[in-house]
Amino acid sequence: MRQESIAPHALPFPPLNKGWGWLAWFSTTDHKKIGILYMVTSLFFFGVGGIEALLIRIQLAAPNSRVLTPQEYDAVFTMHGTTMIFLVVMPLFIGVANYLVPLMIGARDVAFPRLNALGYWVFVLGGIVIYLALFTGSLADAGWFSYAPLSEAAYSSRPGVDYWIVGLIETGVGTIGAAVNLLATIVRYRAPGMTWRRMPLFVWMMMITSLIILYALTPLNAGLIMLLGDRILHMHFFRANVSGGSAILWQHIFWFFGHPEVYIMALPAFGMMSEVVPVFSRKPIFGYTFVAGSGIAIGLLSFAVWVHHMFAVGLSTPMNAVFSAASMLIAVPTGVKIFNWSTTMFQGRLRLDTPLLFAAAFIIQFVIGGITGVMFAAVPIDWQLTDSYFVVAHFHYVLFGGSMFGLWAGIYYWYPKITGRLMDERLGRWHFWLAVIGFNMTFFVQHILGLIGMPRRVYTYPNLPGYALLNMISTIGAFILAAAVLLFLWNLVVSFRRGKIAGDNPWDAWTLEWATTSPPPEHNFEKLPPVRSARPLFDLNHPELADHARHTREAKA
Amino acid sequence: MTTANTTANTGTNMNRHKVGMLFFISSEIFFFLTLLSSYAYLSGAFGNLPRQSLAVPRTFVFSLFLFSSSLTIWFAERAFHRGKHATFRGWMLATIGLGLVFLTGQAIEYTELIRTGITLNYDVFSSAFFTLTGFHGLHVVTGLIMLGSLTGLSFAGKLGPQNESAVATIAYYWHFVDAVWVAVFTVAYLIFI
Amino acid sequence: MHNLYSTVSSVLSPASPYAADIGRLFWITLWISLVILVGVSAFVIFNLVRYRDRGQGGLPPQTHGNMVVEVTWTAIPLAILVVLFVLTLQTMAAVSPATHPKADPVNVDVVAHQWWWEFRYPGAKVVTANELHIPVGKSIHIQLTSADVIHDFWVPELGRKMDAVPGHPNTMVIQADRPGVYLGACAEYCGAGHAWMRIRVVAQTEADYRVWLASQAQPHPEPKTALQANGKALFVGLTCSSCHTVTGSGAPASKDVGPDLTHLADRQTLAAGVVPNTPEELKKWLADPHSIKPGANMPNLQLSSQQLDALVAYLEAQP
Repeated sequence: MRQESIAPHALPFPPLNKGWGWLAWFSTTDHKKIGILYMVTSLFFFGVGGIEALLIRIQLAAPNSRVLTPQEYDAVFTMHGTTMIFLVVMPLFIGVANYLVPLMIGARDVAFPRLNALGYWVFVLGGIVIYLALFTGSLADAGWFSYAPLSEAAYSSRPGVDYWIVGLIETGVGTIGAAVNLLATIVRYRAPGMTWRRMPLFVWMMMITSLIILYALTPLNAGLIMLLGDRILHMHFFRANVSGGSAILWQHIFWFFGHPEVYIMALPAFGMMSEVVPVFSRKPIFGYTFVAGSGIAIGLLSFAVWVHHMFAVGLSTPMNAVFSAASMLIAVPTGVKIFNWSTTMFQGRLRLDTPLLFAAAFIIQFVIGGITGVMFAAVPIDWQLTDSYFVVAHFHYVLFGGSMFGLWAGIYYWYPKITGRLMDERLGRWHFWLAVIGFNMTFFVQHILGLIGMPRRVYTYPNLPGYALLNMISTIGAFILAAAVLLFLWNLVVSFRRGKIAGDNPWDAWTLEWATTSPPPEHNFEKLPPVRSARPLFDLNHPELADHARHTREAKA
Repeated sequence: MTTANTTANTGTNMNRHKVGMLFFISSEIFFFLTLLSSYAYLSGAFGNLPRQSLAVPRTFVFSLFLFSSSLTIWFAERAFHRGKHATFRGWMLATIGLGLVFLTGQAIEYTELIRTGITLNYDVFSSAFFTLTGFHGLHVVTGLIMLGSLTGLSFAGKLGPQNESAVATIAYYWHFVDAVWVAVFTVAYLIFI
Repeated sequence: MHNLYSTVSSVLSPASPYAADIGRLFWITLWISLVILVGVSAFVIFNLVRYRDRGQGGLPPQTHGNMVVEVTWTAIPLAILVVLFVLTLQTMAAVSPATHPKADPVNVDVVAHQWWWEFRYPGAKVVTANELHIPVGKSIHIQLTSADVIHDFWVPELGRKMDAVPGHPNTMVIQADRPGVYLGACAEYCGAGHAWMRIRVVAQTEADYRVWLASQAQPHPEPKTALQANGKALFVGLTCSSCHTVTGSGAPASKDVGPDLTHLADRQTLAAGVVPNTPEELKKWLADPHSIKPGANMPNLQLSSQQLDALVAYLEAQP
């Protein structure tokens, strides 16, 4: 029975120019509006973090540069990392998840709509508090992982770090609330028939991400409280050399959070990849169970590898060896996903639209980042290359070349569902190519800079052979990347006004969010199609090829 | 506020509260695990101070009050399910009372420490001890506020069978607070002493 | 005017058996990785080109997966990683001090400060700063610690890096195969002066090294001119000696708030590698340290031009 086709029309986006319209956004508990609030706020911070990145690259363009003082530079790189991680990537994924997860499981909202709203506003408060330090003349400048004792009052006497700590505790609380919400929603509100194995992979990844959040963010909060206690109440947790405290304890606590954190930033992108690649290949994901299962493996292993950030600290050989093995092991499930996505494309019928372009670049760039990650798991290589530009290249390849490109794939894919209009394809292609060129130009050369001895977090460098040229290339790349980002933001705005009307399901996709209008009504669904496989709309539109009848067909054949 | 779905839910509305609380509690467990493992990690630098300054037997007695409050809240829940709201209120008051006695014991311990000069920021031991037990105490206070609210609502006639999940989830939280104290007492008063 | 930074200091141009071992592991890992990268990239690009939608309509075969393929591409990477892990363990052992013959090592105590390096040769009672002299061909056992925040000692051509952690002394080993100057840097963010906490290792023949060590053990040259004598008096009388030590200057106690300045003239750079060590640069430094190394802990002592000349003459005195 074919779904009745509905003539495409744009449902009115919630009105922004009426009096009560604005108020509705402030007081909303609707997951879709909250999701949009998260996304818009994150994009604002993306601009801030991007400007910080450009300041870094301007200062580093030439040797012995004096554009920024070291203190200014130190605050800029601290805020760049803090902003991108806590105020951009995490909330952006939470926002997308907020919007999409209820729709993808056929629910009307999240389990705790008011908690959802609270979580968003606490996140905003946290972001404001971190930057409020500007008014004290001292933004946090101890680095985004704020190692003790540098971050202690004796060596960072100005209040920037205090604001950083308090702001992060706040964003952490908001994030934990969002995770509890998503988990309760996914556990209790899946549509009838949606067993675990019929759940969209993006929902799987958000579920695992939410679990990671629950168990990684609370240790961070504990550590932050302890550091604040040291700084303000003169306690002794991390004050080595002085009173029996331990600088290394801070690192253990921080990285116990910090490593799962990077998977919090990667798994949602993996989820987006798992939605985009199959739809644009016009065939199901290759190895659904393995993609879901490898996500679980990554989630578990992510808590078992944190010491690989501390290989140069001088811990014992058994410690280093065990965590080296675990860090290599976690490459296996990640590789499984890469192979499954690539094989999904094999023998498909690929629509080379912008989402798939970003997905393809994700695969190649994430593999590069993953390779250098495995290198760092090999302890002696880490002993040379940690804390150099090689590691800066590594994590930008996975976080930007990976997660951000995955986000872009997802945004181009789901923008029509959220706004009712498609993003402009031509602008999308320009965005894509500028991003690929800009990103790789900025960060590939940084591998070489690390190999030729450039440490990270230096505000300038001597005129060593190769340093000036490579840094200049990196800076030029950064500006090309900035142009790509501006083009993207422009595309967001211009498509909102003049994009092609999308209709319910412009991509002929298969998951439940496409079974309603674009954008969806307040209550999400008028009517849900039956859920008998992971691709309910595919089953509806192609009954002769329906997934749920697969085994019957194969038995007959 | 409504979370009614367009089709039948896969579970009752009420269960989302229990699910949410259990996930939240699991996350708080990691908060305490961090404080506990930090306490253990730093214990090498404590010297004789814990043995000299902590009152183990007295604190154990006060701990018994907290442990028995898990029993009384269980009785309270049973009474609530049977519709015996007066009995429910009685057991709730008992639970709150037992919790308050425990906190009094904590206050006595803190007062003695501070009187002997071992203040919050005296050294590594005091920093770790006050933070670990202090955050547990804060969780006890939070629990007492929730218990008090429930009891007050019941006295005002505003707590009925439809609030079963509220009673259940707050009971989960109270049991969690109790269990954390088992761990804290073991680590701070029995192992690293 | 020689260029302080004319030589490459690369992980891949090892001048040490330790760096060479690590370099070997790196190349092996790199080659394996490149095979995987090229393979995956080629597969993706091939798919994009070969299976591009050419408007033929309809659906491709709706393949859901293949167990054999899944097991294969789980097992093969696992096997590769097992090999890599074994190589990792071997290399870890090869570059660690414990597994090296203790015969005749050179022991150096390194104390990291914000933002300079203190080098002590306990046997010879020599204390110097920022420039480490070592004999070629010998294992240099470094005891590494920090006086303040976490720093990191990294000279890529000579071996691994290691954190200098306050309260947690570390041991590491480096070695130079041939004479030369090897450049390194602090590799753990340690505050405003992190970028200019550079390391200069001068590897010398055994004979040259002994000469250097012996001369460093001597007190600072006594003044031969009135200007130098004036400089010595200023060093002791002004606040210089409350942070710096110059052996033989007559100042009451030895201080390590700032670098030891005994035999300053023998060093190639000033302020941990910011500028070359010349009288002109030293005068500029003393006149206004922050114009050369922003954020440095050394205050501007508002010295007059005559005081500057005198101090420079004394500090740069040659025997």
